[in-house]
Amino acid sequence: MNTTQHHDRKRMSLERHNTLVGISFILPNFIGFACFTLIPVIFSFILSFASWDGFNAMKIIGFANFSGIFSDRVFKAALSHTFTYSVFTVFFSMLMALLLAVLLNRKVIGTNFFRSAVFFPYVASIVAVGAVWNAMFMKDAGPINAFLRLAGIANPPGWFASVAWAMPAIIIVSVWKNMGYFMLIYLAALQNIPQSLYEAASIDGANAWNKFWKITMPMLTPSHFFVFMMLTINSFKVFDLIFVLTGGGPGIATKVLANYIYDQSFTAWNFGKASAASMILFLIVGTITVIQFRAEKKFNDFL
Amino acid sequence: MKKITMIVLAIVCTAGILMAGGAKESQTSSSRTTIKVSTWDLSSNPSVSNAVAAFEAKNPDIKVELMDIPSTEYTQKLSIMLNGGSDLDAFFIKDADTTKSLFDKGQLADMRPYIAADSFDIEGFNGLTKNFTMPNGAVVGLPVRSDWYVMYYNKDIFDAAGIAYPGNDWTWTEFEQLAKRLTSGSGATKVYGALLHTWQACVQNWGVQDGKHTIMDSDYSFFKPYYEMALRMQNEDKTLMDYATLKTSNIHYSSAFLTGRVAMMPMGTWFITTAIDKVKIGESSVRWGIVTLPHAEDVPQGYTVGSATPVSMNQASSKKDAAWKFISFMTGEEGASEYAKAGAFPGRNNEKTLSSIASLNGMPEGALHALQVTNISFDRPGVDKVAEINAMLGEEHSMIMLGEVSINEGLSTMSARNKEILR
Repeated sequence: MNTTQHHDRKRMSLERHNTLVGISFILPNFIGFACFTLIPVIFSFILSFASWDGFNAMKIIGFANFSGIFSDRVFKAALSHTFTYSVFTVFFSMLMALLLAVLLNRKVIGTNFFRSAVFFPYVASIVAVGAVWNAMFMKDAGPINAFLRLAGIANPPGWFASVAWAMPAIIIVSVWKNMGYFMLIYLAALQNIPQSLYEAASIDGANAWNKFWKITMPMLTPSHFFVFMMLTINSFKVFDLIFVLTGGGPGIATKVLANYIYDQSFTAWNFGKASAASMILFLIVGTITVIQFRAEKKFNDFL
Repeated sequence: MKKITMIVLAIVCTAGILMAGGAKESQTSSSRTTIKVSTWDLSSNPSVSNAVAAFEAKNPDIKVELMDIPSTEYTQKLSIMLNGGSDLDAFFIKDADTTKSLFDKGQLADMRPYIAADSFDIEGFNGLTKNFTMPNGAVVGLPVRSDWYVMYYNKDIFDAAGIAYPGNDWTWTEFEQLAKRLTSGSGATKVYGALLHTWQACVQNWGVQDGKHTIMDSDYSFFKPYYEMALRMQNEDKTLMDYATLKTSNIHYSSAFLTGRVAMMPMGTWFITTAIDKVKIGESSVRWGIVTLPHAEDVPQGYTVGSATPVSMNQASSKKDAAWKFISFMTGEEGASEYAKAGAFPGRNNEKTLSSIASLNGMPEGALHALQVTNISFDRPGVDKVAEINAMLGEEHSMIMLGEVSINEGLSTMSARNKEILR
C-alpha cells in the first residue's frame, strides 16, 4: 500500500518534471508568438468592434465598423480586386509551375541552369522586382510595348497607367515571381513518382497524354493541394508587390484588401475599420483553408 | 568566494561614485531650468540646433533638452508621449494638420495670455497663425517654419527661345501661353514648357490659392479650370511632361528640372536648397531662377499655397514660463534670423529674413522679390480627416490626369467620396 502510494507520487513528479521540461522548451517560442501574434490578433478582434484612432480613448461601437466598410466604395472595390487577383494568380501560377516542372523534369543539357533561372525571381527582392517591371511596362518607352508595337499592335495597353490593364500587369508579375518556387515543389513530387508506373503503362500501350492524365496528375494530388493552398493564402494577403508596383492605383484600380487595411490604419488612423477589414480577410482565408482541408481529405479517401 | 566579494564590492563602489556624480550634477544645474523639447532629424536641420544654441546663449538660466526623433515616426511618437503624460514642455508639430486633434485632446496650451503679456507680434506670420487658432479663439501653435509654392524657371531655355523671364505678377493663362512658346524638339531631347509634378497638389493647389476654398470643401468644381488647363497643356499643346510617363517611370521633379528638360515648374520653397546644392556640387548646370507663383485673374498677386511647422506648448508642462520664452524666441525675430541663415524659411518672414535667404550663396538674383508673399493658403488645413481626404483626392487626381475619367466625372466622384468620408 505504502509503496504504491510512494510509487504514484514518484510517477507524478516525473510526469510533472517532463511537462515542465516540455513547457520550458516551448516557452521561448510561445512568448514570442503570444506577444507578437496572439495578443495582437485578439486585440485586433476587439478593435473591430471599436472606434479608435490610436491616441484617443477607445469606444466600443458594435457592428458599426462592419456596416461602415460594406457601404465604403473603396472597400467593396478592394474586395473584388482581391478576388480577381487571387483567382487569376492562383490559376496561372499553378499552370505555369506545373508546365515548367514537366518541361524541366528531363535529363537534357542546361536543365540545372533553367531551373535556377526560373527560381531566381522568387528570391529576388520585391522592391527591385517592382522597379524593373515598372520600367518594363512603361507606356511609351517600355520594352514590352516596344515589342508589342513591333508585333503589329499599334495601340498597346498603358499597363500601370491604365485602369483596365494595371491588374493584368500585376498578375503577370506575380505569376512570374511565384512560378519558380512552386515549380520546385512539383519537380520534387514528379521525381518521386515510381518509374515502374510509367513502364507498366507503356507496356499496356498508353501514350504520353494518357500517362500524364492517368499517372502524373493523380500522383501529384498532394502537391496540387499544397500549392493551391499556399498560393491562395498568399494571394489573399498580397500587399508588397502591389504597393511597389502601383500603390493601389491608378485611382483605386488595383487596391486590394491589404492596401485598404494599410490605408485605414496608417493614413486615416481608423484602426476599428482596419481591424474589421482584417477580420473579413481572416474569415475569407480561413473558410477557404477549411474547405481545402475537407476537400483534400475527401479526395485522398476517394483515391 | 573571495573573488565574488571583490566583484560585488567593486560594483557597489562604482555605483556609489556614479550616484554621487549624478547627485552633484543635478545640484549644480538646479539653478538652471531645464525644459524638454521634441523635434525630428536634428542632424539634417541645422536651423533648429542653431536657433536653440542661440536661445541658450541668450537665456543662460534655461537649458533646452532636445529630444531627437526620426521624422518618419515623429507624429505618432509625439502623440503617444503626450497621451502618456510626458514631461515635454514644448514641441514642434511635424504634420500641421494634426494640430486640431492634439488640441481636442487637451494637450496644447492656449498661448494667448503669454502673447498678450509680452505683446508678442503675431502679425508677422503672413496670416499663418489663423491655422493654429482654434474655433474657440485659442492660439495653440506659432509657426516656426513655413514653405510655399513658387515658380522655378530655367533661364537657358528662356534665353534660347529669346523670351523674357516671367515677372512676379502674372496669371495662369500667361503661364500656359508661355509654356507653348518654350516647348521645342521631340523625343528624348524634347524640351517641355512646363512640369506639373504628379502630386495632386500641383494642380489642385491652384484652386485653393485664393484662400477661399480648401480641399475639405465638398464641391470640387473650383478645381475645374486648373484640370482643364493641365489636360489642355498635356494632351493638346503637349507642353507638359506626360502624367502617365512621370508616374510610371517615377521621374522625380528634381531630376526633370535640373537636367534642363523643363522650362517652368511650380514647386515648394524647400526645393531651393536642393537646387543650390546640386548646382554647387556640379550635378546640374542649369541656370535657374524663381518668380512668384502665377495667380488667377481674380486672385491678388502674392497669394500662394503652402504649409507651416508650428511649435506648441504642452498643456501639462510645469515650466510654462520657460517654455514660452523658448517658443517666443524660436518664432520671434531672432529665431527667424537663425532659420534664415541656415537656408530654412521661418514662419516669421519679412524683408530681413528673406534678404538673408536671398543672399545665400548660389541663390539666383531677384529671389528677394520672388519670395514676397502676402497670403499663404494651407494646402492641407488642420481639420479632422484631412489625411483621408487628401489620399482620396490623390487617387481621383490620377484618374483625371490619365484620362480614365472626364474632368466632370472625376470631380463629382471626389465630391461623392468627400461626403462619404466626412459623413
